[in-house]
Amino acid sequence: MSSPPAPEEAPHSVVDDVVVKRTERPHPLTPLIRGWVVLLALLIGLSREVLSWFTEGTQLPPLPLIVGVVVGLTAAAAAIGFVSWMVTRFVIDDDELRIETGIVYHRSQRVAFDKVASIDVVQPLVGRVFGLAELVIDIGSDERIKLRYLTRARAYNLRDYLLSRARGHQAVIAEEPDPGLHLSDLNDDDRMVLRIPPDRLLVAAVTSNEFIGLVGMVAVTVTAVWLLSPYLGGVVVVLALAISAASAVGGFIIRRITGQFNFTLSTRAAGLRISRGLADLTSQSLPARRIQFVRLTQSLLWRPLGWYRVEIDVIGFGLHNQEGTRSDISSVLVPVADLEQLRTVLALLWPEADFTRIRLDPAPRRARWLHPITGPFLAFGYDDLLVVSRHGWLERRWDLVPHARIQSVVISQDPVSARLGIADLSFHTAGTRFSADARGLDISHVRQHQDRLISLAQSNRPDVTESPAPPEGPDEAPPVQ
Amino acid sequence: MDDVFRPAGEWRQLPAVAVTSHRVASAAINLVVWTVIVVGLWLLLPPLPWLAYAAAGVGVVWTVWRVVRIGRWIRAFRFREGERDLLISKGLWFRSLTAIPYGRMLSVQVTTGPINRLWGLAGVQLVTASHESNGHIPALTAEEAARIRDQLIALGEEQALPL
Repeated sequence: MSSPPAPEEAPHSVVDDVVVKRTERPHPLTPLIRGWVVLLALLIGLSREVLSWFTEGTQLPPLPLIVGVVVGLTAAAAAIGFVSWMVTRFVIDDDELRIETGIVYHRSQRVAFDKVASIDVVQPLVGRVFGLAELVIDIGSDERIKLRYLTRARAYNLRDYLLSRARGHQAVIAEEPDPGLHLSDLNDDDRMVLRIPPDRLLVAAVTSNEFIGLVGMVAVTVTAVWLLSPYLGGVVVVLALAISAASAVGGFIIRRITGQFNFTLSTRAAGLRISRGLADLTSQSLPARRIQFVRLTQSLLWRPLGWYRVEIDVIGFGLHNQEGTRSDISSVLVPVADLEQLRTVLALLWPEADFTRIRLDPAPRRARWLHPITGPFLAFGYDDLLVVSRHGWLERRWDLVPHARIQSVVISQDPVSARLGIADLSFHTAGTRFSADARGLDISHVRQHQDRLISLAQSNRPDVTESPAPPEGPDEAPPVQ
Repeated sequence: MDDVFRPAGEWRQLPAVAVTSHRVASAAINLVVWTVIVVGLWLLLPPLPWLAYAAAGVGVVWTVWRVVRIGRWIRAFRFREGERDLLISKGLWFRSLTAIPYGRMLSVQVTTGPINRLWGLAGVQLVTASHESNGHIPALTAEEAARIRDQLIALGEEQALPL
């Protein structure tokens, strides 16, 4: 405990001991909201179950039992929420960012300010009603730090404070008032770059490969059952199946649209900001330097439209996180963009780089023996700033990695490649989500490429995220120390 | 054309005892694993004794194969401390040449296990921010490992690059 305690600053001195410091608890409504979230999930799950009971015609369990179970589980969730609220305290001040939790095992976690990779402010629907928000701090380890729930104003102010500390600037926690209930979270400091209208999201969702695949699978299953229905028990089965299939397809579209609703990308001094979501408003902040890797993908039907999806890998999205769907979304920088928008966005990340100018060399024809389907689309190239490799048939994919983020370069070859005289080149970055490689390269040049990439990785030019013109404004404030 | 996976230069091999130590380690691990499998089959499926015999046969063949291969793999392993990168060339069927710029070094680990210690051997690992960069030299004499560790650290600090 190095920090000298300041006695006059300790009106809320902590229950347990050593540190005499102003610690904070999350908002007192937290347990209620967590209980409510559980209740909502139960009701949704229950209504689906009830639907299937009706279609299958089974006997319903007695109503009091259902109500009892629901009430019990909700109360339990609220009780757990209450206890965890009781034992959770945090400190965010000039010296430290520290979170204390734990019922049985007491845990105190202290985080270095400059290790903060990105911060999300998440507002679930109920939270929004009460003006509360969750602060999710990503520090690059597996587990994200969650502070839930804070008042919305407090969450935004702490977010802004932590982001400027993450850049090494001293700052003061602002006491700005609550911005109020908005569809997006932008203020005057933000420069809006891109906003995706809902109709574009809808078209993008129904032309995505996932959607086509889903519809195809549903069509095949329903047709098969239709043909077999005389043996399976008649039209009722087909009807039940069709209903659940329709709900799956509809659910997919609704999730895509509500999750990315009013998707807005903006910039401010601290980096990029993403704000999105209809029911749950999520606001994500990313410093551009943390971005290791950009992946562009294009589904079959997006090709004639000229649309791209932009995903990123950052130091510290964690290897895996539990909420599968959310982790899927959070790697998305832009859900759908045309070429012009794509260039604008990439110019924000890497001002001088332009991947469209890089000449891509296709893989030699003999590589098609090993890559019969993707072979004609494999290509690889680089310039002073970026390495680009292209893959894919049904889903065209470009992997863009700046040399400044490459940690190591590996040539590898399997026995079949050895016969064909080709080899693969992989570029490793500090990201954990994607890995980049170029496949089926001509063996006679691959070593030169590797050597060249290593020397480019070591060139001591200004960072790829910096533009030649010096940025203006508060960004120029002298760093601490 | 010289070998892509071993471009011209001063390549270094692992010490000869590393072959022995890795053969012993491989034999020990394989024997333990296959013993567990065979005994497990024997106890769980008594009506089918031939299954355990077959597993034992496969186990012996596999172990011999692995012991032979690991020796060859160690002999084929080469590394080179280049001007600006550590180069590691390895593999028999699946060959690879890894290049790690010194500037990306975060730390250098020297590790050793019970079997390697019998021969006074230690492994050196160059750690970068990527969990995929596998800058691992499996076995060196302890003095050599310490020397390479210090040299990698020095080179890494000299050529340090921002993360």
